[in-house]
Amino acid sequence: MTLRPTGSARRGLGEWLAQRLTALYMGGLGMVAVIYLLLVPAPDYLQWKGWLAGIAVRVAVSLFFASALVHAWVGLRSIYMDYLKPLWLRVTVTAVTLVILLALGLWTGHILLWGFPP
Amino acid sequence: MNNKNKRPVYLNLFQIRLPVAGVVSILHRITGVVMVISLPLSLYALQQSLASADEYATVTGYLSLPGVRVLLMVLAVALALHFLAGVRHLLLDIDVGVTRRVARWSAWAVLAGTGLTALVFGMRWL
Repeated sequence: MTLRPTGSARRGLGEWLAQRLTALYMGGLGMVAVIYLLLVPAPDYLQWKGWLAGIAVRVAVSLFFASALVHAWVGLRSIYMDYLKPLWLRVTVTAVTLVILLALGLWTGHILLWGFPP
Repeated sequence: MNNKNKRPVYLNLFQIRLPVAGVVSILHRITGVVMVISLPLSLYALQQSLASADEYATVTGYLSLPGVRVLLMVLAVALALHFLAGVRHLLLDIDVGVTRRVARWSAWAVLAGTGLTALVFGMRWL
């Protein structure tokens, strides 16, 4: 068995991959959504609710927000690692960011999944 | 890492000529942060728009205020740049366009595409 020293070559691979996969998902769904919204006229309330009534749409949109939050987590973390030099500051800001992103994730679920219909 | 030698550090931002790929890179970060800040606002708008027909009208009313339209325009441009720079980044990941000549060209293309999006969006929206 090989022991990896701290700071091994594989550290960060998960984040790297998550950044790419969430980008592909958001890019794909985003392009479909933008093209659709450009083609159809602006919806009224009932149409708008109708779009989001289907569970498949709500799951897809929820996953979009989840992707955005994961993507933001990895992106903000690398920005913090580059610019926030004092350790206490970096740890504090990173922790606060994590709490905020998790809260936004729960809020998304509340709006689109377990809190639906509002 | 521990030797505190006295190398000259030259970081005058007005003297450094950042290459265009560097400009795209820093804009990629700035637009990302801008969009993260807009996330809670987007969620709030989504929540209110679903609450009732009256709330929906309130949200769409807010979104058509001149100031908010400009804000949405800024967000759309940020999204366009972040998206295009992201596509460029993903292509670089799979070794497409890694030579300096092509990488410079694609960085300019990201900026041009963003400008074009701003133009089209601005004419439709503002």
